[in-house]
Amino acid sequence: MHESDEVIERVAMTLRREAVAVSPDFDARVMQQVREESRQVAAPGVWRWMTRSRTVRVSPLAGLAVAAGVAGVVALAAREGTVDVPAGAPAPVAIPAASVPNQQMMQFVFVNDSASKVAIVGDFNDWDEGVSPLRRVSDKGVWTITIPLAPGRYQYTFVVDGTTWVPDPGAPRTLEDDFGRPNSVITVGDATT
Amino acid sequence: MTDRSAAAAPDAVLVRRVLDGDVEAYAVLVVRYRARYVRFATHMLGSVEDAEEALQDAFVRAYRSLARCEDPERFGSWLFRILVNRCRTAGARRGRRERTIVHDEIALRDAAEDHPEESVAWREEIGRALERLPAEQREAFLLKHVEDLSYEEISAVTGVGVSALKMRVKRACDRLRDQLREVYSARE
Repeated sequence: MHESDEVIERVAMTLRREAVAVSPDFDARVMQQVREESRQVAAPGVWRWMTRSRTVRVSPLAGLAVAAGVAGVVALAAREGTVDVPAGAPAPVAIPAASVPNQQMMQFVFVNDSASKVAIVGDFNDWDEGVSPLRRVSDKGVWTITIPLAPGRYQYTFVVDGTTWVPDPGAPRTLEDDFGRPNSVITVGDATT
Repeated sequence: MTDRSAAAAPDAVLVRRVLDGDVEAYAVLVVRYRARYVRFATHMLGSVEDAEEALQDAFVRAYRSLARCEDPERFGSWLFRILVNRCRTAGARRGRRERTIVHDEIALRDAAEDHPEESVAWREEIGRALERLPAEQREAFLLKHVEDLSYEEISAVTGVGVSALKMRVKRACDRLRDQLREVYSARE
């Protein structure tokens, strides 16, 4: 073996042989946190994800399509206090607008005329596809949902037919999420945390 | 399911149990993957303490997003991808600490006794050399030469193209050779 390759092989072998032990209480710490997460999941859905603490970051406001929708829905929420859900449509989140201080009603719009169902997942609903289904509002494939969000920065993406993850074409994207896929980013209000 | 059968259950079975509400089944997955993955995180971050924090974060994030695990049979690979990202975040946030590659002295001594050619000094030199590598080169080198992944697997984990990965590994190897050749020769 050439000496230079031998050096690399010996380095790799040394590192491969290395057994790094975790702290004796590592498993307990992980499971304690997991159990806390599971209790949050078990709590009544909407209130749980609206009230739990989360990391909030700041970035420029999301794309025009989203922003354009916001104004109309915010006005609606201010007047009526809730989001209107047509009879027969999948039930999107409907929450009193004033239930959390400073929250804003954000309308998300997605266009796909071949989808049979569309959901939105993100930081605001623990990436749970069952929480926030969009409703189809036109025969041209326009899907929409309005979600009350406290000021802050959120990552999200749409899920088409329960299988295909599609970032919002009208919003900025992250480079990648924890799972190697790009997400869209929306900033609500003038959050500074 | 008994403890013994749970310990032997495939990942997909355990993931299904967790999603069905059996939170404790997740502990089996934690035990199954912690040892190998903490090694990678320690090599990346240079500190067992930081590695444990990143690994704990990865386990919790994986639990939180378990419904998004598209192939539960490959839970381990999915978790590893999360961990790689957590290591990147942790590395960027804190930088590598001055006290890099922290290792338990007893563990090092035991390792040296098991493999006499692996002296503590040699291991410390490796640690310093790894520390000097840019994070993306260190990551590529560890995944290729220590975790023994193929370039295609590394690409899937990191989201980086195979050509770029090969270049990173080559540069990492060049730097490690330059820094360690002399020390290595002196050992013999």
